[in-house]
Amino acid sequence: MRISGRLIGLRALEVVLGGLFFYVGLQKVLHSYEFAEAVLAYQLLPESLVGVVAAGLPWLEIVAGLCLVAGLKRRSCLLLLAGLVVAFLVVILITMARGLSIDCGCGLFFQRQVGLGAVLEDAVLLGWAAGLYRWEFLRSEKGGPGSIAQAAP
Amino acid sequence: MSRGWRQDLAWAGFILGLAMLFGLVQQWPLVRTSWRGELAPRLSQMREQRRAAQFQGVKTIDLARAYAMFQSGEALFIDARPAAEFNELHVPQAINLTPDQVPAGVAEKLAGLAKDREIVVYCGQANCDLALKVAEKLQALGFTWVMVYVGGFRAWDEAGYPADTSK
Repeated sequence: MRISGRLIGLRALEVVLGGLFFYVGLQKVLHSYEFAEAVLAYQLLPESLVGVVAAGLPWLEIVAGLCLVAGLKRRSCLLLLAGLVVAFLVVILITMARGLSIDCGCGLFFQRQVGLGAVLEDAVLLGWAAGLYRWEFLRSEKGGPGSIAQAAP
Repeated sequence: MSRGWRQDLAWAGFILGLAMLFGLVQQWPLVRTSWRGELAPRLSQMREQRRAAQFQGVKTIDLARAYAMFQSGEALFIDARPAAEFNELHVPQAINLTPDQVPAGVAEKLAGLAKDREIVVYCGQANCDLALKVAEKLQALGFTWVMVYVGGFRAWDEAGYPADTSK
């Protein structure tokens, strides 16, 4: 009972994390030009590539978030989301070091500037995704439910 | 590298490719506009349209006009950015007043100011709306000569115009 309770709790954490990324991705898709403007403001990409990032990144959040909620390829989704957050962190830290004061374009409930708040938020998300990935990985290595060892013929 | 880890990476790559494909197809007009180098003008046009609808009746001025008004010394400059940014650098003699501080902060910071005094409000850069929000609220309070310098402090600073750190 204790183990199944823990499983349910950790699975719930995956669903919440997936739902969160699905939501922020959807916000960016619904306001694609505003998101493109936020990407452009970082001044890290040539204008010709801003559209590709502004078009692809929200869909990455949506697809990975949705798959995580649905329980499809959970470890790969967690890996993708952790990688995405690491990329966000690097971009935010570079922007802070350059002294740019811009909207972070994070798409999470309210507008805010690039700064320590956004760094902390991403650090929490990174810990969340990486922790769940580690748990899923160790669980599958031990041959637990849903593991690769069990799924293989 | 374990087999599980390699499989995770392979599936992550597949999901990444699938998502990028979805994005490129669904947002093709945005991708094409950007690829042709027309994104910045398009964004600027959309911003103007949105502002014209959202902030009707708020007068805007450009950098040259704002600097001329600064040199004349007759206009009061209001900086609508958050206090931390204002304290770092701002137009000399500007008063810091964010949208959240209006109307409460007006009684404190603009006490005794004539309603027909020329006021120039600015914020960080061309795409920020803070100055427009403050201007709209000041107009609602009865100030009749409120203008927004839409280029923002960044363009002012880049032009080499005066700026200081005094509060």
